[in-house]
Amino acid sequence: MKLAEALKTIQAAPPDAPPLEVALLCGFTPLHLQTFLEAQLCKLFPGHSPRVQVGLFGDLMGNLRRVADVAVAVVVIEWADLDPRLGLRRLGGWEPSQLPDILDEVSRSCELLEHRIREAAGNVPLVLCLPTLPLPPISFTPLARASEFSLGLRGLTAALAATTSHFSAVRIVDPQRVDALSHSQRLDVNADLSTGFPYTLAHASALAELLAGLIRNPPPKKGLVTDLDDTLWRGILGEVGVQGISWDLDNHTQIHGLYQQLLHSLAASGVLIAVASKNERSLVEQVFASRDLILRESDVFPFEVHWGAKSESVARILSTWNISAEDVVFVDDSPMDLAEVKAAHPGAECLRFPRENPQAAYELLERLRDMFGKERISQEDSLRTASLRSNATTQRGLNEPSPGASREFLRQIGGKLIFSSEKQPLDSRALELVNKTNQFNLNGRRFQEAEWREWLKATGTVMVTASYQDKYGPLGKIAVIGGDLSYSDSSASRKLHVRTWVMSCRAFSRLIEYECIRWLFSQLDVEEIEFDFLPTSRNAPIQTFLQRVRSGPAEPGCRLSRSQFLEICPAPPHAVEELRNG
Amino acid sequence: MAELESRLVNCFAVVFPELTAQEIPSVSMGSLASWDSVAGITLLSVIEEEFNLSIPPDEVAGLVSFGLIVDYLRRPPGDTRA
Repeated sequence: MKLAEALKTIQAAPPDAPPLEVALLCGFTPLHLQTFLEAQLCKLFPGHSPRVQVGLFGDLMGNLRRVADVAVAVVVIEWADLDPRLGLRRLGGWEPSQLPDILDEVSRSCELLEHRIREAAGNVPLVLCLPTLPLPPISFTPLARASEFSLGLRGLTAALAATTSHFSAVRIVDPQRVDALSHSQRLDVNADLSTGFPYTLAHASALAELLAGLIRNPPPKKGLVTDLDDTLWRGILGEVGVQGISWDLDNHTQIHGLYQQLLHSLAASGVLIAVASKNERSLVEQVFASRDLILRESDVFPFEVHWGAKSESVARILSTWNISAEDVVFVDDSPMDLAEVKAAHPGAECLRFPRENPQAAYELLERLRDMFGKERISQEDSLRTASLRSNATTQRGLNEPSPGASREFLRQIGGKLIFSSEKQPLDSRALELVNKTNQFNLNGRRFQEAEWREWLKATGTVMVTASYQDKYGPLGKIAVIGGDLSYSDSSASRKLHVRTWVMSCRAFSRLIEYECIRWLFSQLDVEEIEFDFLPTSRNAPIQTFLQRVRSGPAEPGCRLSRSQFLEICPAPPHAVEELRNG
Repeated sequence: MAELESRLVNCFAVVFPELTAQEIPSVSMGSLASWDSVAGITLLSVIEEEFNLSIPPDEVAGLVSFGLIVDYLRRPPGDTRA
């Protein structure tokens, strides 16, 4: 982005939109980095009015100590913050005899930074960027030769990054990504000496783009649908046979092996993987049974293998997964199949596997990793594919002809619900569920990490989570309810105002929503629940539920009394437990 | 208006959006309250980007009006007269 474009972007942002306060904490003059960051935030948060606050020049530690009341803080560290002798604006000496002392000073600075970052991250999410500028010519070795001194410095900052990466709510800019995006000169000596701003415009722009991307922290895609022939492997199975396909160095088809390796890794981190292929099903089954594919059969669910249209396969896969096309990536080598799927599912990301060009295919792998990238792998991630398979079995039982038969089925499968009312602001799975669930979602409201934490800290706020398991295995945490307790004006009885309520689509059709309400009435001892309901384009399931239990319309602020609910709720088919202390 | 002046007006318009295109050619640091040090640095950076040049630090202090910047940009390369 050019500086002029950044300024125009900021000027075009709606001034009366909800503010997005971001702190930019650094020891140098933030100048154009502040401008580029604000512009990138304007692009990534179009419904907001981003404001980038800055701290005091030359006081990174103090700026970190003072940070408060922002949605996110960005910490940009440069060498001069660790020891001023590593910058251009101080003349403390570059004598060889001083190098050990500089290393000691940097070590102390890193320890202090670790402490400050730990403290600040307890209050506000942090995006952290370690030094991106070249070291000045301070060491006595030729520039091409890494010195013990420069390696020691980089080791200290790498250790700081490794330690702070374990802190909750700290996201660290990957230096490899900085190298990929900012490949021209980074240090602007003129600007550093005259204004205290050390970056070239190109470097500031690239860095701002990365920082803004980490601030936005978009939810990852949920599922990948892949073709087989000339995509998962090289060769047309129907023509070359089971032994004729390949994905290895010997056949110059290694890029397909790398693709399989990535898909296997994605499956292990909770991404749903399905196959949509025009093929003979028996041949595909032979491949998965007899050839040593890196992507295993157990990684994939479902397989759509037939001669019908790919768009129909994708429709059935979406239905099985119960997610929308916007959450899915479709990969195929055929431009025609990609176009056909895109026409039927415009929200789906349709990407071509460029089998003839390994370099381009490798870039596709990088792009896929980026689209499915997540901060950490939860217990639920490792359960997802297995629970989908068991869900398919469960759904068959639930589709019994009468409701009584369905309830009986639920009893037979030994369903157990575990509720927890411990407020855990750092529970990333709860926030993730709130921010990515669309269908059973009370109002579609999303929360910034800092906003969520602040809300949960407030007195009177209640957060209840529910986990589920049955004889087919655990589904993990599947529901989150957040609200405020108060007393009714008229009767002095307790009332719960539910601000957010989401339930994973994997938990549908098990009457879990009824159990959630039953638990709220009994365990929180409330007489009435008020729902912050808002209709969205996708929350019909919760709308239908509210209509059913209220015997009336679902509308903003609608209420449900204990007696009203007990009249209509079915007998509980699950065992219910409460988890104490966590 | 010559092409150079027109491009320079665009640079000023980006940094000082409150000015009209007619006001810009007569503007100077002394006549415009919003032309502070940060705005001045931003303006020169936008100009460097637009004209693909690097303004030497010695020249910066003298570039305090639209007219003076036009004069600077018209100078042949290597001419260091203030």
